[in-house]
Amino acid sequence: MTVRVRFHGRGGQGAKTASRILGNAAFNDGYFTQDFPIYGAERRGAPVTAFTRFSREEITERGFIFSPDISAVMDDSLIADTLANPFSGLRRGGVAVVNTTKAKGSVVPGRDDVKSVCLDLTGQALKTLGKPVLSAGIAAAVARISGINKEALLTAVVDELKDIGLSAEMVQKNVGFAAAIYGELSPLELKTEELDAREELVPLAVVVSEGGIEAVTQAGNSAIRHTGNWRTFRPNIDYEKCTDCMMCYAYCPESAMAVGPDGRVKIDYDNCKGCMICMVECPLKAISQTLEGGA
Amino acid sequence: MKGRLLTGNAAAAAAARLARVDYVPAYPITPQTEIIETIADWVREGTMDSKFVQLESEHSMMTAAGAASLAGARVFTATSSQGLLYALEMLYNVSGWRAPMLLVNVSRGLAAPIVLEPDHNDVLAARDSGFLQLHSETCQEVADLVLLAYRVAEDKRVSLPAIVNLDGFYLSFTREPVVLPDQGKVDQFLPPYEPVSPLSASRPVARGSAVMEGFVYSYFRYNLHAAALRAKNVFNEAAGEYEQLFGREYGPVEGYMLDDAEYVLVMSNSFTALGRQAVKRMRERGVHAGLLKLRMVRPFPTEEVAALLRGRKVVGVFDQNLSPGLGGIFYSEVAGALYHVKNRPKAILPAVGALGGKQITAKEMDSVFEEMVRIDRDGVTPSPMFLMRDDELARVRKAVAIAEGRS
Ligand code: SF4
Ligand code: SF4
Repeated sequence: MTVRVRFHGRGGQGAKTASRILGNAAFNDGYFTQDFPIYGAERRGAPVTAFTRFSREEITERGFIFSPDISAVMDDSLIADTLANPFSGLRRGGVAVVNTTKAKGSVVPGRDDVKSVCLDLTGQALKTLGKPVLSAGIAAAVARISGINKEALLTAVVDELKDIGLSAEMVQKNVGFAAAIYGELSPLELKTEELDAREELVPLAVVVSEGGIEAVTQAGNSAIRHTGNWRTFRPNIDYEKCTDCMMCYAYCPESAMAVGPDGRVKIDYDNCKGCMICMVECPLKAISQTLEGGA
Repeated sequence: MKGRLLTGNAAAAAAARLARVDYVPAYPITPQTEIIETIADWVREGTMDSKFVQLESEHSMMTAAGAASLAGARVFTATSSQGLLYALEMLYNVSGWRAPMLLVNVSRGLAAPIVLEPDHNDVLAARDSGFLQLHSETCQEVADLVLLAYRVAEDKRVSLPAIVNLDGFYLSFTREPVVLPDQGKVDQFLPPYEPVSPLSASRPVARGSAVMEGFVYSYFRYNLHAAALRAKNVFNEAAGEYEQLFGREYGPVEGYMLDDAEYVLVMSNSFTALGRQAVKRMRERGVHAGLLKLRMVRPFPTEEVAALLRGRKVVGVFDQNLSPGLGGIFYSEVAGALYHVKNRPKAILPAVGALGGKQITAKEMDSVFEEMVRIDRDGVTPSPMFLMRDDELARVRKAVAIAEGRS
């Protein structure tokens, strides 16, 4: 049987690394393995999808996993994101592994035929690593659920994180993080069944009927794509300290720092991605950060 | 477990190192960059004994590559998509110079609009350039084809440059177990390049000079064509030796479940894996499905294609490329190979799909086989398929509505 895992995260959380740790762990445990990421041109904060397949037989599949056995969601704001759609095609009997503090019980809307595993990975990552980087933790969760050997996992954590240039100390902290998550869980039975395909093919005549030379005539429409839910940290302005020097306004890479009718700087939380550049640049230290409620 | 986990990009870099290439002129582009970054690291660390130079463009990169090859160096370079197009002028020159260098192309759809994921319009834009072309389905194949390509390209009967193609993302960033051949055996398979009359400072040599007259030009072009055709047998010889040394078998084409197949789909590159899955599903449904993979694209394996497709009921050609105003490129080439064959299939179905790496579901893949069966049953003339799903079209329409301010 091939186990198909689809990781959904935001750029910077470590979805790609998670898929590689899991792939490497399965490989160490004697499985045939395949892992790969998909990402666009956007980076930190943007939805990233990565995949791992492992099997005792040679893997003959390739590419996007439409029907995962395990859907691993590193940020619970992705659940409602229609572009990420993290549970699409999740098999009957499959498992949703979700990093969340909000949800308990079932996290997959409208699906009582899948299992849910909820973990506060961000909390644990901040505690053990001091950063919301989740790759080792989520890989450990999936490895444990799918019955991969602990030594195989921990060796993979070391190899992969060394490979991307982490210090020996950070690698060891990640090993601790992975071991802790591994220890919290136990293997789940993965007897899964693919859902029936619902899509229909459309003929060329339908695809091309509208001419296909559409231009973007509505400038500034990226504001409609609310990127506020990409935040792990939320910047807060202390207006007592703020002198309206506008440094934050100049540095914000997202134009999410606006000027309100009262002439004071104001954060557009619908679009602020939480990069915290404003906090670093503010000469008055008038901007602080708080952890967002979700992941 | 045998081998180690490598991406397609890492496999290409590793094979270049195993081939002991002398010179790597480079220019980065997504999704190829990891190849040259890896090589640059190795050269810097001293674990690869090559000269690495970053040029200011792909055009210069290819010029440097061709010139160094003529001087007798074993040359490796890599590009993708727009980079290949920018280098294209020099591709025709380098093949005309009969310089047997190797270019790895990591397929990515061409602008505009802009995309990062693969289709084969980039590498097929170079199909008439005189470069040999080998296309890979797996990361293992990437490594093996790089080594095979050098052997064939440098053979005196051929002396032509070659392209090894791999798909962006689906191979370039996909890690899977790859067995890297042993250096000693590679050295045996691929001895140092011995150029014929190399360029040298002390002994002037000219290649590809201005000939001005068409008949002289024709002489050289016909010879280039003949050399490309000879490359197939040279490849077969080399592949035989490769199999003996390394245990992996490679032909110009590869059949899958062909023995009693009535409906055969022709595919190339990494999406072939999806075709294989469809064949298995159709077999479970009692349909005698099969698949023919094109590994060698130039020279085109006309005889192999004809031999393996004759006598089938319906053949389909899955083109992950589009020649606007014509259709799929391989369709025409396969149809051409079959025209004079006795007992040729009664229909050939053109199917275009996976442009810009568009994901293909099982249902989409199966639909191509279902259409082949329907054509056979109803005796209808095939009309080309262009794969697209309703959910995808709905997303396009929604995005267009936003772009035009209609939502
Ligand atoms: S954190 Fe600050 S700089 Fe970053 S997007 Fe939000 S407002 Fe802009
Ligand atoms: S940089 Fe700091 S002080 Fe200046 S406007 Fe922004 S919040 Fe206020």
